[in-house]
This record gives sequence, structure tokens and C-alpha cells, in this order.
Amino acid sequence: MLRAAGKYRQAFLLGLQGSLVYRWNFAVRGFFSLFHLAAVFILWGAAFAGRDQVGGFDLRQTLTYFTTILFLQFLISAFNEDYQISEEIRMGLINQFLLKPINYFLYRLSIFAAARLVSGALILLPLAAAYPFIHDTLVFPGEPWRLAAAVPALVLSALVQFTIAYCFGLMTFWFLEIQGLVVLSMAVEAILGGQIFPLDLLPPALHEAARFLPFYYQMYFPAAILTGRIGPAETAEGLALQAGWVVLLLLLAHALWVRGLRRHTAVGG
Amino acid sequence: MNALAQHLRVWAASARYSLTRALMFRGDVLIWSLVELFWMGVNLLLVEVIYRHTDSIAGWNRAEMLLLLGTSLLIQRLLMGFFWSGLYDLGRNVRNGHLDFFLAQPGSVMFMVSTRKLDPDGLANSVIALGLVIYAAGELGLRPGPGQLALYALLVGCGLVIHYSVLLLSTASVFWLTSAQGVEGGYFSLIEFSRMPREAFRGAAEVIFVWLLPVVVVSNAPARVLLHGFEPIWALGLAGFAALWLGLAIVVFHRGLRRYASASS
Repeated sequence: MLRAAGKYRQAFLLGLQGSLVYRWNFAVRGFFSLFHLAAVFILWGAAFAGRDQVGGFDLRQTLTYFTTILFLQFLISAFNEDYQISEEIRMGLINQFLLKPINYFLYRLSIFAAARLVSGALILLPLAAAYPFIHDTLVFPGEPWRLAAAVPALVLSALVQFTIAYCFGLMTFWFLEIQGLVVLSMAVEAILGGQIFPLDLLPPALHEAARFLPFYYQMYFPAAILTGRIGPAETAEGLALQAGWVVLLLLLAHALWVRGLRRHTAVGG
Repeated sequence: MNALAQHLRVWAASARYSLTRALMFRGDVLIWSLVELFWMGVNLLLVEVIYRHTDSIAGWNRAEMLLLLGTSLLIQRLLMGFFWSGLYDLGRNVRNGHLDFFLAQPGSVMFMVSTRKLDPDGLANSVIALGLVIYAAGELGLRPGPGQLALYALLVGCGLVIHYSVLLLSTASVFWLTSAQGVEGGYFSLIEFSRMPREAFRGAAEVIFVWLLPVVVVSNAPARVLLHGFEPIWALGLAGFAALWLGLAIVVFHRGLRRYASASS
């Protein structure tokens, strides 16, 4: 067990080194994301003009939500893991993992964890630079249970994010080019994950339907816990649904891997 | 005049090649058309959701906002259709030395780099964006005359020039940075501001995004032509911005080009 953990610890350390090579790339991306945050503040500031609340939340709560979403995008989102996996399959680099006693999913997950550790730390720099300008707008609820619930929700969210990206990457066993499918799904994930607007602003029936989809648990759910948009009962129910989606997605990933490998042809070394 | 005609012939040949290639990969074109359509839908949904809870954003009602969004999307899709692929490839071509191929062509390098590829999916979606503009104009009961329509088209053209210049400036940074990957993302971050009414910007945001960077006027100026008719300050302002940013992009691109050292750069 310990020996197995050692393998993935090494993969994590390699991922850490690899991500640090691209630290400036992450930093530039983080800097430009402040423009996005500025756009969000201006748009929603204008939408709230002359009214105290929109959808039951005030302007500060809404801006806190979007700032949290921005941080979570760098902390738990899948960036280009689907593309990396796709490239490894297309170029035959995956062959080396088939001959070694290593689980490809866990190997990739270790690298994903390392990359998010680096990007999650780097987004703190632009956020710290912006803090003097935005700290008046940030208002987090002070209930300790939210932090306790947010930890498992964030871990499960990262798993949902990664496993969806992993499944898209494995689609390369069937399709040569998956980039179009990935960007297409990004649009769906952006909306149903609550990155474009808080999902509670949707009509109630659509919001209720979104709760049963995996995208809800990619970003909106942990952000809603941290920013006070959902209560304890909904959080408990959400954690159970989120865990259920993780299990389903892991099963799907395993099925795609097994079936995909049957189609895979390894040529050369 | 001869040089212009020659460049137009080269562009027509590139366009024919791109369309032929697109017809070979029809599934790909379909997927990417859907991608662009979905992302347009994301913007549309955001407007619809906000207007479920409010009647006005900075004094603009829902239909006016859709007109502005449609105009912004129209300019962006035209950029995607005509220039995006060529400029996106610039970074890779500088890194691996394939820019040599463009240097050897009989014409302006900047023109060749920018117009090498045409994306039918972007152009198809520009028709849908235009449809959104027409729908919004219908909702508002607007009946623009031929002069207004011609001015709208002219200002959309100016907007396209500004978008092109900003994107070229972003990607030309590859001559100095080797990788322009994160910088290209900056273009998309800035474009977000073009979907908002100018009246929403106050204080420092007004100075930066309205006056220093032309990201707000680029779509507000043409949209205002349909809403309020000819307003000299907006029309001339946008034309001036377009000339200024295109000039800047030309200078920066050619300065960068001097640093290009073929495959070893």
C-alpha cells in the first residue's frame, strides 16, 4: 500500500515541477482573470443600481460569490487535462503506462493535484493585489459549519472536474479530434456550473433540475456553501448527491478505459 | 492599386483553399459552428437571467442590451471568421520557424499571416449574430434608413479593425516572449467589456476601458447608430480609435518581425 502511494507521490512531485515551469503562464492567466472580475463587478454593479437585492441576495453577496468562483477556478478546475490525455493517446505515449504497474487514472490525478496546487497558490497573488480595491465588497458568512462542509465539497468537486476531463480525454480512443467536443462541453459546464451567473437566479424549475446534474457540483455547490447561498439541509443533501456523481463518473471513466483499450493499437515503443 | 489588387487575389485564393479544406472536414466545421453557437448562447442566457430580475442595466432595457450584445458578437465572429486562425497560428509559426514560409510569399507579411485561413464556422455564426441584431431592432421598433445602415456597417468594420489590432498586438508579443499562450487569453478578457453599455462605466473603469482601451466604444458606437442615429462624437471617435490601434499594431508587428531569427528564434 505504502509502495503504491510512493509511486503517486513521485508523480505528484513530477507534476509539481512541471507546473512550476509554467508558473508565468499561470500568473499571466491569473492577472487577466482580474479583467474578468472587473467586468463582473461593473455588469452586476449596474444591474443592482436602484435595488437592494437581486434573487434574494445583495450586491456584496453576489460579488463575493463571483470572487469565490474565480479562486475556485484556479484551485479545483480542470484546465487542459483532457487535451493532455488526448495527446498521450493520439501520440502513443500512453503505451508506456500499459506496460508498467501504474494506474493511469491515479497517475493523471496526481499530476492534476500538483497543477492545481500551483495554480491555486498563484491566483492568490493577483487576488492579493486586488484585495485593497475589493475587500469592502467581500462578505462571507461566519458560520464554522460552512468551512467544515466546504472541505469535502471541494475535494469532491475537484474529483468531478477531473473525472469529466479524464472521460473527455479517453474519447480519443473513438475520435481523433476531441477539442471541439471539449470546448462545446465547456460552454455547458460554464452555465450549469454557475460560472456565468449564480444558479439560484435561474427559474426555480430549472434550478431544481440543475441540482441533479454533475455540473452543479463542479463549481456552484462549494461556492454556494462558502458564500452562504445554501443552508445546512441543502448542503447535506448536496454532499450525498455529489458523492453519488463521483462514484458514477468513476465507473464511467473505468468503463471508457477498459473499452477504449480494446480499440487501442500500440505501435512501436 | 496594383498591389491592392494582387493582395485581394491572394486573399481570394486563400479563401478558396480554406473553404475547400472545410468541405473535406465537414464534421469538424459542424462541431466548431456548434461551439461558437453555444458560447453565443451563454452570453444570451446571461442577459436573459439578469433581466429576469431587473428592468434596466445602466439605463439600457433588455432589447437594447440584446442589440448591443448582437453587435459585439457580430464583430467578434467576423474576426473569428476572417483572422483568428491565422493570428492564432502566428505564435506557433514564430516558435518553430514556419514563419519563413510567409516571409517568402510575394506580399505584405502581416497581410499573409492574417489572411491565410478563413473559418466558415465563425462566418456562419456572424449571420446568427446579425439575426440577433435584427431581432432586437424589431423588438425596439427601429426602422433604420439606408444611411443609418451604411453607417452601422462602417462602424462594425471599424470595430473589426480594432479587434484585429488588439489581437495582433497580443499575438505579436510572441516575438519577445516566445510563448504568447496566456497573452492571447487577454484578448478574450478584454472583449467581455464590449458587451456592456458605456453608461455602466464610472471612475477609473471609465478611464481605462472607455478612453484608454477602445473595448467599450467598439460595440457601443455602432449600436448607438441604430438606436439614436448619427452621433459625430461616437462615429468619429471610433474611426479615430481604429486608425490609431491599427497603426500601433502595424508598428509593433514589424518591430517584432525584425527580431525573428527563423527556426532558431
